[in-house]
Formats: sequence, structure tokens, C-alpha cells
Amino acid sequence: MSLMEIEVTGAKILFELPFGITITETQVNMWIVMIAIAAVCIWLTHDLKVRPTSKRQIVAEFLVKTAENFVTGNMGLRWKWFVPYIAALFSLAMFSSLISLLGMFAPTGDLNTTLGWAIMTFVLITFYKIKTNGPFGYAKSLTEPIFIMTPMNILGEFATPVSMAFRMFGNIASGTVVSALVYAALAALNNAVFGWLPGILGEMGEKLPILQLGLPAILSLYFDVFSGVLQAFIFCMLTMLYIASAAETDS
Amino acid sequence: MITMAGTLDFLSINVWHILMAIGNLLILVLILKKFLFKPVQNIIKQREEEIGKAYSDAGEALEAANAEKELYLKKLDDAKSEADSLIKTASDRAKAESAEIISDAKAEAERRRKNADEDIELAKKKAADEMRDSISEMVISLAEKVVEKEIDPKAHQSLIDEAIDSLGEDS
Repeated sequence: MSLMEIEVTGAKILFELPFGITITETQVNMWIVMIAIAAVCIWLTHDLKVRPTSKRQIVAEFLVKTAENFVTGNMGLRWKWFVPYIAALFSLAMFSSLISLLGMFAPTGDLNTTLGWAIMTFVLITFYKIKTNGPFGYAKSLTEPIFIMTPMNILGEFATPVSMAFRMFGNIASGTVVSALVYAALAALNNAVFGWLPGILGEMGEKLPILQLGLPAILSLYFDVFSGVLQAFIFCMLTMLYIASAAETDS
Repeated sequence: MITMAGTLDFLSINVWHILMAIGNLLILVLILKKFLFKPVQNIIKQREEEIGKAYSDAGEALEAANAEKELYLKKLDDAKSEADSLIKTASDRAKAESAEIISDAKAEAERRRKNADEDIELAKKKAADEMRDSISEMVISLAEKVVEKEIDPKAHQSLIDEAIDSLGEDS
């Protein structure tokens, strides 16, 4: 394997359906994540008691309370109904990034995924702006402070979801890219260091990924774990703050 | 860089995949709602109700206990005052009785003293009478001896008595 052969691609296409719909690793891995989350939820809540006797129930209640505090602390108590959306967004984004720890393709490393979620946020922001200010109030706010700013304002409206989508996609995908590059570089180095050994030792040295053991794990810790959790958190924070400020009557 | 037929480009936009991402997110919202939030929120609500009930039960029990305590304190007070009044009436009665006994005793003593005085007076008088009688007899017998003649005590009784009385007054 030489450095020249490294290729960075998106998700593998697994099935082709009619109307040009394709099912890729992104979708399948996201479904795996969803099934895992659903299974954990069912397991956590399958035997709840008014007086908790299991650690499971304490964990379940802790998760719910944490999610509620996270959302109502940032958005206010009247947004309590919004808790499941943020919880779903956070858990799906986080585990879709963390799944790369298992060597699977991270759905958040696919722009379509993050763009879809960002479009949801954008729709909600715009919905609440229109709902709060009225359609004319919203249209008028785009022409402020002067009429000539209208194109910039419209661009600004669209910049929000685009920046959100690319922020998460860029962080996760770049992690994959950097990991692949480092892995390939270490493989080449491995060959260079152990390949010249005579006879069977050389063959073994070429095949055993000795140098690939340490560094990729540390990089993965940053790009997959830290970056994955952090980006999920940022995406949720931005969604909450944008929507809460869009629904503020004084804005 | 070669893109194989079986993979997407690193940067590709596919409307179906965007819609599926949104759909997946919304499905997970429903999953979390149904399997995590609803059950946990229900159980927390039930617990809050149970705790509220426990608190109100405890409050009622405390109120009842306080009411009973008041009742018992009142009863205790009543019993104390009753005991006080019993003791008071008893001691009053005892005082009255002792006063009565003392006054009775005094009256009895007074009566006895009076009787004794009367007896003494009577005895004195009797003694005086006896003395007078004997003196008069003695005087008469003396006088008989002097005059050698019988004196009629009856005739001279008043005269003799007068003399004796004057003697008694002088002495």
C-alpha cells in the first residue's frame, strides 16, 4: 500500500431502489444507531417502579431529567415539549459519530445527514419567526436596517443552516480523512522500518501493523469521541438558541 | 482519486438522503417519546402524587395528634383543677370541723367551769348555813346555860340569825 492509493469517498451504496433512491451505509448505520437507542430505552424503562429499586431506572430518570434541564435551562420552561426533539437530535448525532469507533461509516460524516438536520432547524427557526412576528413582520425584518440589505439578510437566513450542516459534517468527515491519512502514513512507515528485514521476518513485519497500534487510537479518541460529542452538543445548543430567540416576542 | 460506482462522492447532495435523515430524526423523536420520556415522566408524576399524598396524610395525622394532645392537656388541666378544688374543699371542711370542735370544747369547758363555780357557791352557802346553824345552836345552848332557862329557838331564831349575819359581815 502506498500513499498514492489513498482514496477518500463517501458512504458505500448498499441498495438501489426505484425512483433513483439509494440506500447507503449512512442510512443503514443510522438505522442501527436508532435501533440501538430504542433498545436501550426499552431496556431502561421496561420495569419502572414508583419507588425505584433498580439502577436502570435511576439512569433512565437521570437521562430524562438531564435532557429536560438542558432544554428548559436554555430555552425556558414553555419549551418542555421540545425536549424529545433535542434529545433525539443529540443522541442520534452523538452515536452516529461514535459508531465510527466500531469501524463503521459515521452517518454524520455524510453531508446529507447534517444538512437534513440543519434544514429541520432552519424550518423551525423560520416557522417561529413568522409565527411570532407575522408573515409581514418577518418580511419586514429582512429589509432592516435599510432596504438594500435585503439580499444580505436572506443570505444570512440561509447561512445559519448551511454553517451548522458544514460544521458537523466537516468535523466528523475530516476526522475520517485525517485518520485514513495517518493510518496510511503509518503503514508506509511500518513497511519502511520492518520491510527490509530478511526472509520471513520481513514478510511478517510488512503484514503486522505494529506502528499502527498507538497513534490512530489517540487520534480516534479526539476525532471520534471528543469531536463527535462536542459537535452533537454544539448542534443542539445552536438549534435551541436560534429557535428560542426566533420565538422571542421582543425580537 | 477514483470514485467507484458503489460509493457516493465525499461531498455529495442527495435529496432522498436529506429527507431520510430528517425522517430518521423524527422517527427517533417518536421512539424516545414513547419508550423513554412518556414512561419516565409517568412514573415521576405518580411518585409526585404519592409523595404529595404521603405529605398530606402526614399533615392530617399531625393535626389529629395535635388535636388529641390539646384534648389531653385540657383534660389534664381539668383534672388538676378538680384535684385542687377537692383538696381545697376537704381542707376547708377540715378547718371548719376543727373550729367547731374547738368551739364545742371551749363551750363545754365554759359550761363545766360554770357548774363548778355554782357547785362551789352552793357548797359555800351550804357550809355557811351549816356553820350558822351550829353557831346558833351553840349560842342558844350557851345562852340557856347562862340564863338557865329554855329559850325558844323559834321565837328567837330571827334575832340570832341577825346576830350571826352581822358577825359574818364583820369577819
